[in-house]
Amino acid sequence: MDILTILKKQAEQVEVFSLESEKTTVEYEANQLKTCTVTSTKGTAARVIHKGRLGFSASTDRMAMDKLAANVLDSAAYGDQTSFSFSDPIPAVPVKTYDKTIAELPIDRLVEIGKEILDLILPVDPSVRCNLSLARGLVSTNIRNQKGLSVSFQTSPLTLSIKLDRMEDNDVLIRYEQFGTMVWEKDYLAFARRLAEQLKLARKLTTIKPGRMPVLFSPAGAQALILPLGEALNGKEVYRGTSPIKNKVGEKLFDNKITLVDDGTMDGCYGSASYDDEGVPHRRNVLIEKGVLKGFVYDLKTAAQAGVESTGNAVRSLFTQPDVSFGNVILQPGLTPLKDIIASIEEGILVESLLGLGMGNIISGAFSNPLDLAFKIEKGEIVGRVKDLSIAGNVYDLLKDVAAVSQEAQWNYNFFYTPYVCAPYVLIPEMNVAGKS
Amino acid sequence: MRDKIEEALKRSKADYTEIRIEDKETNRVAFRGQDLETANANIDKGGMIRCLIRNKGWGVVTFNDLDDLNAMVDQAYQCARVGTVPDPIDLTPAEPVESVTTAMLGRDFRDVPLSEKKALAEHYNQILLGHNDRIVDTQSIYSDIFTHLILANSEGTYIEQDKPSVVIGAFATARDGDNVQQADEVFSSTRGYEHVLDKDEMVRKAAVRAVELLGASSVQAGQYPVIIDQMLAGVFIHEAFGHLSEADFVYENPKAREMMTLGRCFGKSILNVYDDGSIPNVRGTTLYDDEGTPARRNWLIKDGMLVGRLHSRQTAAKMGEAATGNARAVNYRFAPIVRMTNTAIDNGTATFEDMIKDIKLGIYACDAYGGETQLENFSFSSGYAYMIRDGRIAEMVKDVILAGNLFTTLGNIDLIGNDFKWLNTGGGCGKAGQFPLPVGMCAPHIRIQNVIIGGQ
Repeated sequence: MDILTILKKQAEQVEVFSLESEKTTVEYEANQLKTCTVTSTKGTAARVIHKGRLGFSASTDRMAMDKLAANVLDSAAYGDQTSFSFSDPIPAVPVKTYDKTIAELPIDRLVEIGKEILDLILPVDPSVRCNLSLARGLVSTNIRNQKGLSVSFQTSPLTLSIKLDRMEDNDVLIRYEQFGTMVWEKDYLAFARRLAEQLKLARKLTTIKPGRMPVLFSPAGAQALILPLGEALNGKEVYRGTSPIKNKVGEKLFDNKITLVDDGTMDGCYGSASYDDEGVPHRRNVLIEKGVLKGFVYDLKTAAQAGVESTGNAVRSLFTQPDVSFGNVILQPGLTPLKDIIASIEEGILVESLLGLGMGNIISGAFSNPLDLAFKIEKGEIVGRVKDLSIAGNVYDLLKDVAAVSQEAQWNYNFFYTPYVCAPYVLIPEMNVAGKS
Repeated sequence: MRDKIEEALKRSKADYTEIRIEDKETNRVAFRGQDLETANANIDKGGMIRCLIRNKGWGVVTFNDLDDLNAMVDQAYQCARVGTVPDPIDLTPAEPVESVTTAMLGRDFRDVPLSEKKALAEHYNQILLGHNDRIVDTQSIYSDIFTHLILANSEGTYIEQDKPSVVIGAFATARDGDNVQQADEVFSSTRGYEHVLDKDEMVRKAAVRAVELLGASSVQAGQYPVIIDQMLAGVFIHEAFGHLSEADFVYENPKAREMMTLGRCFGKSILNVYDDGSIPNVRGTTLYDDEGTPARRNWLIKDGMLVGRLHSRQTAAKMGEAATGNARAVNYRFAPIVRMTNTAIDNGTATFEDMIKDIKLGIYACDAYGGETQLENFSFSSGYAYMIRDGRIAEMVKDVILAGNLFTTLGNIDLIGNDFKWLNTGGGCGKAGQFPLPVGMCAPHIRIQNVIIGGQ
């Protein structure tokens, strides 16, 4: 018998989340095609609220549905009192996340894409070693509950990633870049071309005198600035009292140029879907507008705790309960062309990536990280790569005064904490750059 | 099951075929603040089949549906045909192993009711919450995992083994205005439920430290002599050095091979480092790795010199060395790759007093918040730290981030303590998307000269 039907007889509220996915990955190691993998996952997770208590369990053993039912009821017997209810059926605006071209992409085509990437990178520098992972998948999600909610959505993620290293006697360069999309993108090699450009640019080593100077964060580097905000804007942290901006809705916290949006409704984007993982329609949430804090993101449970509506920000994997996270995070592009920003800098650095991002006490806004890849800007031009530097600061101070935000923006998928961020170049007029002088 | 597995292996047309079946039950209780976030049990059952066609490549399939292993073997074989390696892939020869073992637990945590586990986590949570009114957030976590693993390959190996693990974690967040500080304590065991009882003192430490950190000032950036505690030294040797001794890092990379040439001097003669998956009841212990190679002690640095590295059968064959028992997979969704087991700096002779007495101005850094390494560059954040002034531990400082170059730093280790002990850390290691793999790490206290400390 269907597990929803079984559990409805034994609990007031029931939600069943089913996931079925298949992913085919082709991998190149050290420029050679070496491994092909097919991963398939099939599983069911159930939540119940019984006598006001929440229970959860999940299983990938389809022969053990009875045990799953027993486990979720057992979990509810000891669960915490909770006041929220599972989602009402609410129609969502369709979001395009499935593309047959990706779902049915032949393995040979993945192999070919790998060769195309190598053909872009290796001519720049034949000594570079690339590990490529080229994957296409199909994920089907179904969420049902006792209120008659029944939503299904399919996504067809295409993920192309490059990890490369170039080792020379006194210099090592390691880069990781990833491109992800849900609908076929004609220019799927753009990220590899950017990487090839970076490789060229990183050839020339130069030095800079440490001290206070303008720091330009690239879209990838800007993650250092967005990461702490992601934690602070999470409704769960607000409810817990750990968010440093918990009581500051309506206050102007940052420079006018800072607008931050969460949007899971953008066609084809990697963090998109019609619904979130509790069956609540995704929507566009403006979180910071022209420096003013507008609101936070919530799932059903944290929204009930805060006395607000869910913002459609529940994210879960098969084996975990829904948690608050983002769809796509967008730091809005500004008005200044990148070339004008660079031209305005007499002496400073361009930060592409930091080492150890996301460790330490992130939510406080403070960070201190060695620079992994950075370039020197001198008299309005990028002149070469600089090494052995580190930067430190607090985003709540730094973002109060932003010199410029570029028109150009890029998606960054190589993110490990808040996924799928689109960001422009952000110029901080002055911050401390440390290193050996 | 064994018959089905052996039949499927016989059918395979590949040069080498391996089947791993995993059956895992997990229990987890998590409190956050006053609220219980979850108290639940999950079941995860699935398999992985890996085929090698020597002159083509590897084919891997992972699945939940265990009914038709024959079809899965066929699919893995088809996948293996996609590869186009220029040189044939060899595996270092291995004697087939037949071994069926079961875990010996004291009180088997699978027999403990969820209500009792919840009560335990709640008890620890109350200790955190009740410590001080500046504790604004807590997490108290109880988690157990029992995994039954079957590994068989086309060379005749058949292994069944259990991997039990029970972990408790205590996390405290203290707040004073805009000043927010966190501290944690984690304990793990591969034995019975009784080992996570009576941890009140350990749990309380997390709350005490979070409050203490509110009063700590940020460290002044600069270069200092630093003493690091067992935990941070363990994390350091694992992250900064251990990953470079994983042979998949060097075996296809001539420059990396040069950097990791055996015989190269890595430190003073007092420095000895090994990885050992055979030590009873340590978190990274695994009797046989996920290719069936028995665990053993592998010396990596002896008397300051690089003497060994960690291998899978593939990397060992390529480099003409022996398999070391380090091919590991985090679960059935992955093929094994080269990983550490329990990594340690061997015990030395210095007392803590020897280390600290002649430091005029330095830092005593404890515990690791996290870290990242990129080849020889590393960055670690310590959980808490103290200034050392005139040979004594002085005030607590925060935001202590150690950064530097591995080789320089190993060379700057000038004293190694005599207080080695295996730590029952609960964390796991991440590599190539495989996280969290249980690993052990340990060291005595060590002293390092001229460490760059970041900060404002």
